[in-house]
Amino acid sequence: MWYQLLIFVPLVAAVLDIFNLLSTAFGRILVLAVLVVGVFAALSRPSFKLTTALVRSAVLSCLAALLTFLLSTRLGLGAVVASALVGLVGAQVLKGKDQLVMYMGTFVGMSSALRFPTLGPLLVAGLLGGVLFELTDECWVGVGGRLGTIAAAAVVVVLALIGGI
Amino acid sequence: MTLLLNIVIALVCGAAGFWLRQNTKLSVVEVSAILALTAGLVLPPLLQEGALFALTCTAVSYAAMCSSERCCSYREMLIISAICSLVIYFGQSVLVGIGGRLGTSAAVSVLLCLLAKRFLSPDQAQKAAKG
Repeated sequence: MWYQLLIFVPLVAAVLDIFNLLSTAFGRILVLAVLVVGVFAALSRPSFKLTTALVRSAVLSCLAALLTFLLSTRLGLGAVVASALVGLVGAQVLKGKDQLVMYMGTFVGMSSALRFPTLGPLLVAGLLGGVLFELTDECWVGVGGRLGTIAAAAVVVVLALIGGI
Repeated sequence: MTLLLNIVIALVCGAAGFWLRQNTKLSVVEVSAILALTAGLVLPPLLQEGALFALTCTAVSYAAMCSSERCCSYREMLIISAICSLVIYFGQSVLVGIGGRLGTSAAVSVLLCLLAKRFLSPDQAQKAAKG
Protein backbone atom coordinates (compact mmCIF):
# COMPACT_ATOMS: atom_id res chain seq x y z
CA MET A 1 0.00 0.00 0.00
CA TRP A 2 2.72 2.48 0.98
CA TYR A 3 4.54 1.93 -2.31
CA GLN A 4 1.72 3.88 -3.97
CA LEU A 5 3.27 6.97 -2.40
CA LEU A 6 5.73 6.93 -5.30
CA ILE A 7 3.12 8.00 -7.80
CA PHE A 8 1.99 10.82 -5.51
CA VAL A 9 5.42 12.52 -5.61
CA PRO A 10 4.42 15.00 -8.37
CA LEU A 11 1.14 15.78 -6.65
CA VAL A 12 2.99 16.55 -3.42
CA ALA A 13 5.42 18.67 -5.45
CA ALA A 14 2.55 20.50 -7.17
CA VAL A 15 0.93 21.38 -3.82
CA LEU A 16 4.29 22.56 -2.48
CA ASP A 17 4.82 24.61 -5.65
CA ILE A 18 1.42 26.28 -5.29
CA PHE A 19 2.46 27.45 -1.80
CA ASN A 20 5.96 28.40 -3.03
CA LEU A 21 7.55 25.76 -0.79
CA LEU A 22 8.95 23.42 -3.43
CA SER A 23 12.28 25.19 -3.80
CA THR A 24 12.79 25.43 -0.04
CA ALA A 25 14.77 22.90 2.01
CA PHE A 26 11.50 21.72 3.58
CA GLY A 27 9.94 21.09 0.18
CA ARG A 28 12.92 19.22 -1.20
CA ILE A 29 13.28 17.07 1.93
CA LEU A 30 9.55 16.25 1.90
CA VAL A 31 9.71 15.18 -1.76
CA LEU A 32 12.76 12.99 -1.11
CA ALA A 33 11.18 11.53 2.05
CA VAL A 34 8.07 10.50 0.10
CA LEU A 35 10.33 8.87 -2.49
CA VAL A 36 12.40 6.99 0.08
CA VAL A 37 9.35 5.63 1.94
CA GLY A 38 7.74 4.65 -1.37
CA VAL A 39 10.84 2.89 -2.71
CA PHE A 40 11.37 0.92 0.52
CA ALA A 41 7.71 -0.12 0.54
CA ALA A 42 7.89 -1.12 -3.13
CA LEU A 43 11.06 -3.17 -2.64
CA SER A 44 9.59 -4.99 0.37
CA ARG A 45 6.47 -6.10 -1.52
CA PRO A 46 6.29 -9.90 -1.83
CA SER A 47 5.35 -9.55 -5.51
CA PHE A 48 8.47 -7.53 -6.30
CA LYS A 49 11.25 -9.41 -8.05
CA LEU A 50 14.53 -7.91 -9.17
CA THR A 51 14.75 -8.89 -12.83
CA THR A 52 16.43 -7.66 -15.98
CA ALA A 53 13.13 -5.93 -16.85
CA LEU A 54 14.10 -3.20 -14.40
CA VAL A 55 17.37 -2.48 -16.20
CA ARG A 56 15.71 -2.77 -19.61
CA SER A 57 13.01 -0.25 -18.67
CA ALA A 58 15.57 2.13 -17.16
CA VAL A 59 17.74 2.10 -20.30
CA LEU A 60 14.78 2.41 -22.66
CA SER A 61 13.33 5.31 -20.71
CA CYS A 62 16.73 7.01 -20.55
CA LEU A 63 17.25 6.76 -24.32
CA ALA A 64 13.76 8.11 -25.05
CA ALA A 65 14.29 10.99 -22.63
CA LEU A 66 17.64 11.89 -24.19
CA LEU A 67 16.32 11.75 -27.75
CA THR A 68 13.26 13.83 -26.92
CA PHE A 69 15.30 16.41 -24.99
CA LEU A 70 17.78 16.80 -27.86
CA LEU A 71 15.03 17.12 -30.48
CA SER A 72 13.16 19.58 -28.29
CA THR A 73 16.00 21.83 -27.16
CA ARG A 74 18.82 21.46 -29.67
CA LEU A 75 16.73 21.15 -32.84
CA GLY A 76 14.07 23.51 -31.48
CA LEU A 77 11.10 21.28 -32.26
CA GLY A 78 9.46 22.02 -28.92
CA ALA A 79 8.59 19.54 -26.19
CA VAL A 80 5.18 18.49 -27.54
CA VAL A 81 6.30 17.76 -31.10
CA ALA A 82 9.55 16.10 -29.98
CA SER A 83 7.77 13.79 -27.53
CA ALA A 84 5.05 12.89 -30.02
CA LEU A 85 7.60 12.21 -32.78
CA VAL A 86 9.73 9.93 -30.61
CA GLY A 87 6.58 8.25 -29.30
CA LEU A 88 5.16 7.65 -32.77
CA VAL A 89 8.42 6.32 -34.23
CA GLY A 90 9.13 4.25 -31.11
CA ALA A 91 5.65 2.72 -31.26
CA GLN A 92 6.47 1.32 -34.72
CA VAL A 93 9.58 -0.39 -33.37
CA LEU A 94 8.57 -1.47 -29.87
CA LYS A 95 5.61 -3.50 -28.68
CA GLY A 96 3.64 -3.96 -25.46
CA LYS A 97 5.14 -2.67 -22.23
CA ASP A 98 8.27 -1.40 -23.97
CA GLN A 99 6.10 1.06 -25.91
CA LEU A 100 4.75 2.49 -22.67
CA VAL A 101 8.18 2.72 -21.04
CA MET A 102 9.55 4.49 -24.11
CA TYR A 103 6.63 6.94 -24.18
CA MET A 104 7.10 7.61 -20.47
CA GLY A 105 10.76 8.36 -21.16
CA THR A 106 9.77 10.98 -23.74
CA PHE A 107 7.81 12.78 -21.00
CA VAL A 108 10.99 13.04 -18.93
CA GLY A 109 12.66 14.54 -22.01
CA MET A 110 9.95 17.21 -22.27
CA SER A 111 11.62 19.03 -19.38
CA SER A 112 12.88 22.54 -19.98
CA ALA A 113 16.56 23.18 -20.71
CA LEU A 114 16.42 25.72 -17.91
CA ARG A 115 15.74 22.87 -15.48
CA PHE A 116 18.41 20.65 -17.01
CA PRO A 117 21.28 22.83 -18.27
CA THR A 118 23.43 19.70 -18.59
CA LEU A 119 22.53 16.24 -19.83
CA GLY A 120 23.78 14.25 -16.81
CA PRO A 121 20.84 14.86 -14.46
CA LEU A 122 18.39 14.34 -17.32
CA LEU A 123 19.88 10.92 -18.01
CA VAL A 124 19.57 10.08 -14.30
CA ALA A 125 15.91 11.20 -14.40
CA GLY A 126 15.38 8.98 -17.44
CA LEU A 127 16.89 5.98 -15.66
CA LEU A 128 14.89 6.70 -12.51
CA GLY A 129 11.71 6.98 -14.59
CA GLY A 130 12.21 3.46 -15.90
CA VAL A 131 12.83 2.13 -12.38
CA LEU A 132 9.75 3.91 -11.01
CA PHE A 133 7.69 2.50 -13.88
CA GLU A 134 8.57 -1.01 -12.73
CA LEU A 135 8.07 -0.22 -9.04
CA THR A 136 4.62 1.30 -9.63
CA ASP A 137 3.35 -1.35 -12.03
CA GLU A 138 0.23 -1.92 -9.92
CA CYS A 139 -0.61 1.76 -9.33
CA TRP A 140 -3.37 3.57 -11.19
CA VAL A 141 -3.64 0.84 -13.81
CA GLY A 142 -5.67 2.07 -16.79
CA VAL A 143 -5.64 5.70 -15.68
CA GLY A 144 -4.69 8.09 -18.49
CA GLY A 145 -1.78 10.30 -17.46
CA ARG A 146 -0.18 7.62 -15.31
CA LEU A 147 2.99 7.59 -17.43
CA GLY A 148 3.34 11.35 -17.20
CA THR A 149 2.91 11.20 -13.44
CA ILE A 150 5.71 8.65 -13.16
CA ALA A 151 7.91 10.80 -15.39
CA ALA A 152 7.16 13.88 -13.31
CA ALA A 153 8.03 11.95 -10.16
CA ALA A 154 11.44 11.06 -11.59
CA VAL A 155 12.13 14.62 -12.76
CA VAL A 156 11.00 16.22 -9.48
CA VAL A 157 13.16 13.85 -7.42
CA VAL A 158 16.30 14.49 -9.51
CA LEU A 159 15.72 18.24 -9.44
CA ALA A 160 15.19 18.11 -5.67
CA LEU A 161 18.49 16.26 -5.32
CA ILE A 162 20.53 18.64 -7.47
CA GLY A 163 18.72 21.76 -6.25
CA GLY A 164 17.39 22.65 -9.69
CA ILE A 165 13.82 22.97 -8.60
CA MET B 1 -12.57 33.80 -24.42
CA THR B 2 -9.25 31.93 -24.25
CA LEU B 3 -10.62 29.65 -21.55
CA LEU B 4 -13.76 28.92 -23.55
CA LEU B 5 -11.78 28.14 -26.69
CA ASN B 6 -9.43 26.01 -24.60
CA ILE B 7 -12.37 23.93 -23.36
CA VAL B 8 -13.87 23.57 -26.85
CA ILE B 9 -10.55 22.44 -28.34
CA ALA B 10 -10.07 19.99 -25.45
CA LEU B 11 -13.54 18.52 -26.06
CA VAL B 12 -12.81 18.05 -29.78
CA CYS B 13 -9.44 16.47 -28.99
CA GLY B 14 -10.97 14.19 -26.34
CA ALA B 15 -13.71 13.04 -28.70
CA ALA B 16 -11.15 12.42 -31.45
CA GLY B 17 -8.99 10.40 -29.06
CA PHE B 18 -11.93 8.29 -27.91
CA TRP B 19 -13.03 7.71 -31.51
CA LEU B 20 -9.52 6.62 -32.50
CA ARG B 21 -9.41 4.25 -29.51
CA GLN B 22 -12.76 2.71 -30.41
CA ASN B 23 -12.54 2.56 -34.19
CA THR B 24 -8.92 1.90 -35.07
CA LYS B 25 -6.36 -0.73 -34.16
CA LEU B 26 -3.81 1.88 -33.14
CA SER B 27 -2.13 1.37 -29.79
CA VAL B 28 -2.72 3.86 -26.95
CA VAL B 29 0.73 5.31 -27.53
CA GLU B 30 0.08 5.81 -31.24
CA VAL B 31 -3.31 7.46 -30.62
CA SER B 32 -1.83 9.83 -28.05
CA ALA B 33 1.23 10.65 -30.16
CA ILE B 34 -0.85 11.32 -33.29
CA LEU B 35 -3.13 13.71 -31.40
CA ALA B 36 -0.22 15.48 -29.71
CA LEU B 37 1.76 15.77 -32.95
CA THR B 38 -1.21 17.17 -34.85
CA ALA B 39 -1.96 19.69 -32.10
CA GLY B 40 1.71 20.65 -31.74
CA LEU B 41 2.13 21.29 -35.46
CA VAL B 42 -1.23 22.86 -36.32
CA LEU B 43 -2.35 24.98 -33.37
CA PRO B 44 0.67 27.22 -32.52
CA PRO B 45 0.98 28.82 -35.97
CA LEU B 46 -2.79 28.99 -36.39
CA LEU B 47 -3.91 30.75 -33.21
CA GLN B 48 -2.46 33.42 -30.94
CA GLU B 49 -2.81 31.20 -27.87
CA GLY B 50 -1.99 28.14 -29.96
CA ALA B 51 0.86 27.01 -27.71
CA LEU B 52 -1.47 26.77 -24.71
CA PHE B 53 -4.10 24.95 -26.77
CA ALA B 54 -1.46 22.51 -28.00
CA LEU B 55 -0.49 21.78 -24.40
CA THR B 56 -4.13 21.20 -23.51
CA CYS B 57 -4.62 18.85 -26.47
CA THR B 58 -1.47 16.96 -25.50
CA ALA B 59 -2.70 16.53 -21.92
CA VAL B 60 -6.11 15.41 -23.21
CA SER B 61 -4.38 12.91 -25.49
CA TYR B 62 -2.73 11.42 -22.39
CA ALA B 63 -6.11 11.25 -20.66
CA ALA B 64 -7.45 9.45 -23.73
CA MET B 65 -5.03 6.62 -22.91
CA CYS B 66 -7.52 5.50 -20.22
CA SER B 67 -8.56 1.88 -20.37
CA SER B 68 -12.13 1.10 -21.41
CA GLU B 69 -12.86 0.05 -17.80
CA ARG B 70 -11.89 3.50 -16.50
CA CYS B 71 -13.52 5.52 -19.27
CA CYS B 72 -16.21 3.74 -21.16
CA SER B 73 -18.22 6.42 -22.98
CA TYR B 74 -17.94 9.64 -24.97
CA ARG B 75 -19.69 11.45 -22.13
CA GLU B 76 -17.02 10.44 -19.62
CA MET B 77 -14.23 11.31 -22.05
CA LEU B 78 -15.74 14.75 -22.67
CA ILE B 79 -16.05 15.39 -18.93
CA ILE B 80 -12.42 14.36 -18.43
CA SER B 81 -11.35 16.59 -21.34
CA ALA B 82 -13.19 19.59 -19.90
CA ILE B 83 -11.66 19.06 -16.45
CA CYS B 84 -8.25 18.62 -18.07
CA SER B 85 -8.54 21.91 -19.96
CA LEU B 86 -9.39 23.70 -16.70
CA VAL B 87 -6.48 22.04 -14.84
CA ILE B 88 -4.04 23.06 -17.60
CA TYR B 89 -5.42 26.59 -17.85
CA PHE B 90 -5.40 27.35 -14.13
CA GLY B 91 -2.24 25.37 -13.44
CA GLN B 92 0.01 27.12 -15.94
CA SER B 93 2.33 28.38 -13.23
CA VAL B 94 2.67 25.05 -11.39
CA LEU B 95 5.67 22.73 -11.98
CA VAL B 96 6.81 24.85 -14.93
CA GLY B 97 9.44 23.16 -17.11
CA ILE B 98 9.08 19.80 -15.42
CA GLY B 99 8.58 16.89 -17.80
CA GLY B 100 5.47 14.89 -17.02
CA ARG B 101 3.49 17.93 -15.87
CA LEU B 102 0.88 17.46 -18.60
CA GLY B 103 0.53 13.78 -17.78
CA THR B 104 0.06 14.61 -14.12
CA SER B 105 -2.67 17.09 -15.07
CA ALA B 106 -4.31 14.41 -17.20
CA ALA B 107 -4.15 11.88 -14.35
CA VAL B 108 -5.63 14.38 -11.90
CA SER B 109 -8.50 15.04 -14.33
CA VAL B 110 -9.20 11.33 -14.79
CA LEU B 111 -9.08 10.68 -11.04
CA LEU B 112 -11.40 13.64 -10.34
CA CYS B 113 -13.87 12.26 -12.89
CA LEU B 114 -13.66 8.75 -11.42
CA LEU B 115 -14.12 10.16 -7.94
CA ALA B 116 -17.17 12.18 -9.03
CA LYS B 117 -18.61 9.11 -10.74
CA ARG B 118 -18.18 7.08 -7.58
CA PHE B 119 -19.88 9.71 -5.41
CA LEU B 120 -22.72 10.42 -7.83
CA SER B 121 -23.54 6.83 -8.70
CA PRO B 122 -21.90 4.49 -6.16
CA ASP B 123 -23.90 1.45 -7.36
CA GLN B 124 -22.73 1.76 -10.95
CA ALA B 125 -19.15 2.34 -9.83
CA GLN B 126 -19.26 -0.82 -7.69
CA LYS B 127 -20.69 -2.84 -10.58
CA ALA B 128 -17.99 -1.52 -12.90
CA ALA B 129 -15.31 -2.36 -10.32
CA LYS B 130 -16.63 -5.92 -10.03
CA GLY B 131 -16.43 -6.06 -13.79
